[in-house]
Amino acid sequence: MAEKLDVKQGTLALMILKTLEVLGPLHGYGVARRIEETSKDRLTLNYGTLYPALLKLEQEGFIAAEWRRSENNRRAKYYALTAAGRKQLAREAREWHRTADLIAAFLAPRREAP
Amino acid sequence: MKYLRAALARVTGFFTGHRADDDLREELQAHLDMETDEYIRRGMDPEAARRQALLASGGMTQAAESVRDQRGLPWLESAVADLRYALRALRQSPAFTVVVVVTLALGIGANTAIFSVVRGVLLKPLPHRDGDRLVYLRQSTNQTSGASAQFSVPEVRDFRSGAKSLGGIAEYSPFFTTLQGTDGALRIDIGLVTGNFFEVMGLSPVLGRLTLPSDDGTGVPTVMVLTHDFWMKRFGGDSGIVGKQVTLGSGSATVIGVLQPAPFFPRQVDAFFNMVASPHHLSALMIQGRTHRMTEVVARLTPTATVQQARAEVAAVYARMQRDFKEAYDPGSHYRVEVIPFKEVLGERARLTLWLLMGAAAFVLIISAANVVNLTLMRGVRREHELVVRAALGAGVRRLRRLLLVENLVLTLVAAGLGALIAVAGVGLLTTLAARYSPRANEIRLDGVVFGFTLLVSVAIALLLAFVATLPKEGSFASWISAGGRRMSGGLRKQRLQRGLVVAQIAVSVVLLAGAGLLTRTMIQLSEVDTGLRTEEVLTMQVSLLNPARVVPGADVESKLLYDRMREEIRALPGVVEAGLGSNIPLRSSQLGFDLKAEGRALAVGEATPHADFRTASPEYFRAAGIPLLKGREFAATDRAGTEKVVIINQTLADRFYPGEDPLGKRIAWTGDVLRFTPISGEWRTIVGVAGNTQDGGLDAAPRSAVYLPFHQEFAMMGGLVIRADSNAKALAAAATRIVRAIAPTAPIENVLTVKQIKDQSVSPRRLNAVLVSSFGILALIIAAVGIAGVLAFSVSARTNEIGIRMSLGADGGRVQRMILKEGGVLLAIGLVLGVAGAFFAAGVIRGLLFGIAPHDPTTFISVAVLMAVIGIGACWLPALRAARVDPAITMRT
Repeated sequence: MAEKLDVKQGTLALMILKTLEVLGPLHGYGVARRIEETSKDRLTLNYGTLYPALLKLEQEGFIAAEWRRSENNRRAKYYALTAAGRKQLAREAREWHRTADLIAAFLAPRREAP
Repeated sequence: MKYLRAALARVTGFFTGHRADDDLREELQAHLDMETDEYIRRGMDPEAARRQALLASGGMTQAAESVRDQRGLPWLESAVADLRYALRALRQSPAFTVVVVVTLALGIGANTAIFSVVRGVLLKPLPHRDGDRLVYLRQSTNQTSGASAQFSVPEVRDFRSGAKSLGGIAEYSPFFTTLQGTDGALRIDIGLVTGNFFEVMGLSPVLGRLTLPSDDGTGVPTVMVLTHDFWMKRFGGDSGIVGKQVTLGSGSATVIGVLQPAPFFPRQVDAFFNMVASPHHLSALMIQGRTHRMTEVVARLTPTATVQQARAEVAAVYARMQRDFKEAYDPGSHYRVEVIPFKEVLGERARLTLWLLMGAAAFVLIISAANVVNLTLMRGVRREHELVVRAALGAGVRRLRRLLLVENLVLTLVAAGLGALIAVAGVGLLTTLAARYSPRANEIRLDGVVFGFTLLVSVAIALLLAFVATLPKEGSFASWISAGGRRMSGGLRKQRLQRGLVVAQIAVSVVLLAGAGLLTRTMIQLSEVDTGLRTEEVLTMQVSLLNPARVVPGADVESKLLYDRMREEIRALPGVVEAGLGSNIPLRSSQLGFDLKAEGRALAVGEATPHADFRTASPEYFRAAGIPLLKGREFAATDRAGTEKVVIINQTLADRFYPGEDPLGKRIAWTGDVLRFTPISGEWRTIVGVAGNTQDGGLDAAPRSAVYLPFHQEFAMMGGLVIRADSNAKALAAAATRIVRAIAPTAPIENVLTVKQIKDQSVSPRRLNAVLVSSFGILALIIAAVGIAGVLAFSVSARTNEIGIRMSLGADGGRVQRMILKEGGVLLAIGLVLGVAGAFFAAGVIRGLLFGIAPHDPTTFISVAVLMAVIGIGACWLPALRAARVDPAITMRT
């Protein structure tokens, strides 16, 4: 099993938003599963991390929640991306790409002439 | 936007939390179920699957807790919890709570009340428009001893043309008149003002109009402006007053307006008139006489001028005046002019007293706060165990700090509430005190600013208290916890702080007690001052029959007959031993005085022109008042109009004019320009007697020169009755007043007082002063005693083990007791030394408030030190006794 990573502050929100964009409305369990699968199980999300993050996004108006029946007939709270959330996702994704490029450029093994 | 919405959601969440909790529980449960299903699907048995799911969840309760933190306002929720906890903790130690709250409440209450007075009288901006640009001009001489000699019209004219930084000069002449009403006449204090007066002062009417330059000069109607107080008091705030006619002692006047509430100097007045109300003020003599000084001056600085500029200009103009009119400023009197901001002059007599009280109150608050700190420290140590447990359960340092803060806030705010009540109860008393010293006493209010001050002080104390408790640094919990319940002594640093506080309390108490002692002795000295009267069973009253419009010789014949009738009828009352007539009642300063010369006596070089009070007396006056006649004879019935002019002088004047000589038979005469405006002649008068001095300017006043003239030989400017009773003078007041009323139904009757009461008026402000500072001193003493006893008791309980060991090794109770007493004695001694040094300094500051006693009076200092020492040792005794009773077996148990 690969080494487990902690979810970095701020990245979780992005992951949740992206998950909801890709999969549509989803309950907390689904979101957690998806994030763990996508990370190839290098990330684990306990409730204490996931649910406050969901609540925060909801308070900020990026996602909306409603109770529904799941595919196997269980009552569950489904989260869906709002219009504001979609915009926020685009903005954050852009930011991350830029940051990632920058860090990658720094860390690239490159020998400079002495 | 995002933050706003989130904040809003949090606030909503705070209130809807309970409903959301169910929701959350269900959501988390669903998550857990789904995960369990998943594990089962993968082939686990249900029990294992459930366990695995729970493990992965990371704890349901923790999850719910962190969601809750995100949902509502966690700090508020925990503050509510802290508050609930604090109340419970305080309820559990009621003694601590009561002591802390009561001492703080007394301290806070005293400070609130006194601050309200200081603010009203000294700090608040004046109600005048741009009041900080008003300056008061004071001319004084050696003879006025700091009081104003006032200005003459020509002098004011010179300032007006010469001092350009004074944008406007307002003149007013303090005067009095009688106001006729349906219920008899009333003597009122008035100001005669120039038309520009209110414009310069920056005051507005609340009703009607104020005087204008068109009201100046002769040939205009007499107009009257009521002050706000008088309007409310006399006319009940009648809004239809404007335009009404009032009848005065001389003629009538039309009320044109009511002035906004405002303080005046040197004293409050009832109404203002334009100058035409007093024909004298428009006479050529008044307008041209440079020495005819009857006007007070307040000026408004131009917008660009500073007080310094005004001082320089006024000094330059004044120097020129003294050069040009040498005869008006005799060099021996040392004429000088000061320019004082109006706000300052209004508070000048109150300043020292008020700052003294403020200082004393602040001291009390400081030491009661010190006491609370001490009690908190001790309690903190006792609570260390509890705090450790809380820390172990996950409370952070900040959380603990906040817990303490909430607790202290509860304490101080309850104390502040009680203190505010104390202030409300006490402010009336302080206002009467302030009214003695300042015309601004009616501006004293317990308003938002004052209570804001109270709140600020309380919160500051709470913060202080929360931060003296030592809490470990973040991250050093482990060591703290491991030290756990054993550290009962609270560490050296804390002990040092406690002891330092006790020393400070003792020192401050000594300072306060010394001040209280000095003020109390001042009060006693003052009440023991010899008034010059041989008895206190004397009733006095002033009755004015003067018609100010007819102050010419011979106009008073009828009045004198009325006065004689009053005297005779009162003399016949049962219980009356003697009754006399005079211009002034004894012990009251005479408003009237003139320059004086003695036959054949030249002024020494640099000697100021002699000045003496003018007083008239009937033959019975001295006997009735109990003023001893030291030499010569009393006045006789034959000393009347047409016979030889005679006088009786007082001891002070005799000593000044005839040191070592017999004054009898010598002649003196009134002199000076001013005589021309009076019905009093400047002819030579023969001295027929010398009377003892009387304390006419108040008990603490320096003796003044006085000349008595026969009542029936001089013009009756004023009239007073002096009635000596065989026992209870006060009981005669009603009967005597009835007689006067019957004889002169419209005459104002004033100052119906016994000599005892007059004396008391002089003593009572000092008494209040002494009582207040003494209460503060005693309060401080009690607090300090509680402080030192508390610290020692604490020390004993911390050292129980040690004491037990000592005793099992052979130390007896007495030895242990001495050990503890010594511990307290050292603190006491240091505190005493510091306190006496501080008191020595403080006594110099309040020098001006003392009378008949040196600021560094050794008796006071020694008695205070002894008192403090005795109380201090007494306070140490109890804990020492407890130490001596420690059971040595105690060491075995621990």
